[in-house]
Amino acid sequence: MKQDLYNNIVTYIIENQTKFYRLAFSYVHDQEDALDIVQNAICKALEHYGSLKNEQAVRTWFYRILVNESLLFLKKQEKFLSNEEEAADIPYDEKGYETVDDLYDHIAQLDPDVQTIIKLRFFEELPLKDIAEVTNMNLNTVKAKLYRGLKLLKQNIQEVDL
Amino acid sequence: MNQLQDAKKRYEEIPIPDDLSVKVQEAIERSSQKRRENSRIIRAGYRRFLSRSLGTAAAAMIVFTTLLNTSTAFADTVSGLPVVGTVARLLTFRSYEKNEDDLKISVEIPSVEMIAEDTNGLEDSVNQEILERCQAYADEAVSRAEAYREAFLATGGTEEEWAAHNIQIRVWYELKSQSEDYLSFVVKGTENWSSAYNRACYYNLDLKNGTMVTLKDLLGDDYIQQADESIKKQMEERAAAENISFLSPEEGGFTGITAETPFYINESGNPVIVFEKYEIAPGSAGEIYFEIER
Repeated sequence: MKQDLYNNIVTYIIENQTKFYRLAFSYVHDQEDALDIVQNAICKALEHYGSLKNEQAVRTWFYRILVNESLLFLKKQEKFLSNEEEAADIPYDEKGYETVDDLYDHIAQLDPDVQTIIKLRFFEELPLKDIAEVTNMNLNTVKAKLYRGLKLLKQNIQEVDL
Repeated sequence: MNQLQDAKKRYEEIPIPDDLSVKVQEAIERSSQKRRENSRIIRAGYRRFLSRSLGTAAAAMIVFTTLLNTSTAFADTVSGLPVVGTVARLLTFRSYEKNEDDLKISVEIPSVEMIAEDTNGLEDSVNQEILERCQAYADEAVSRAEAYREAFLATGGTEEEWAAHNIQIRVWYELKSQSEDYLSFVVKGTENWSSAYNRACYYNLDLKNGTMVTLKDLLGDDYIQQADESIKKQMEERAAAENISFLSPEEGGFTGITAETPFYINESGNPVIVFEKYEIAPGSAGEIYFEIER
């Protein structure tokens, strides 16, 4: 039984690897970093596969690990930057961020939490209920953050199919 | 709303690096290795118990299977292929898919794993050969398709029309049969826009002796005569029954087999001789197979 579960997780990972990579990349905007994150997430998932109680939930379970890895990476990077003396000289708006008229770039500048919700909802098309599980928030918090995010993005909520 | 769709499109267009599948596989293997290390202790205890109660031979057997099942478990599910007896198995060594410039490539490279103590290095040399052939085929197929694309665009074709060609390149394998004695499989490469470059390599492994099986091994010294007679007879039968107009020897049709004629071994242990499309009959007949009864 355990072996089956393990094998199914491996199969799921192999089949969805490009999705994982894209999601990781959308946080860090760097190929090598995104690959590292995907690798770390896989290792963590397989090491702790026992924590997956319900096999149906493999997708939310794995996304949670992947999102956590990505956010962890961003945090480390932030710390690293703020520890550097020249940190102040490094403009926040790095290459590609000068123009925010593209919604995709704009999303990348939102709060990590909000980013995650928007990406999972609109790019990965996860139901809000699953997003709540991935992000470990309750459903209403997810909704509130999503509305706020969309407002910041100047997206008309009525038009958006939630 | 449109903006969100545009953003999604950009997200979906994030290019996938070539080595993603390799990295993913690495991570999986690293984790599997850890799992194996953790379960080694349990297995050692198991073996001691067994050797006392069942004798060493049986114990060794069980340890073998346990090991095998642990080490290749992931590949097994991916390929969905059965364990080949207890002596060897075929599994997906590497598989990847790419989709660029409206070019779809999917590659599944198999490798053989044998348990016999002495396989004369057969396993390694076969795996090496398969890997090289598959990669060479995939590379050539891509450059052929790219040359085609350039030519198509240079002669007034549009990108949209090109996309509609839906070019697909595939490298994959099929297990033909498995027994305690033999492992027979084929590795194929196809391009959907032209069958001229389709390739099929048949592999028949003698698991007991660690060698490649030849027609001579299966049919005896007069294998050429036996196979030729059987094929000629079957050609006549099929020409009548299925209305296949086989090419005459003058037209480049069947003249006789050689030691190199490709074949696989079917479930009944008989060799099945394979002729590629166009080889001995019009293309409409496709690949043609002749089972030679032993």
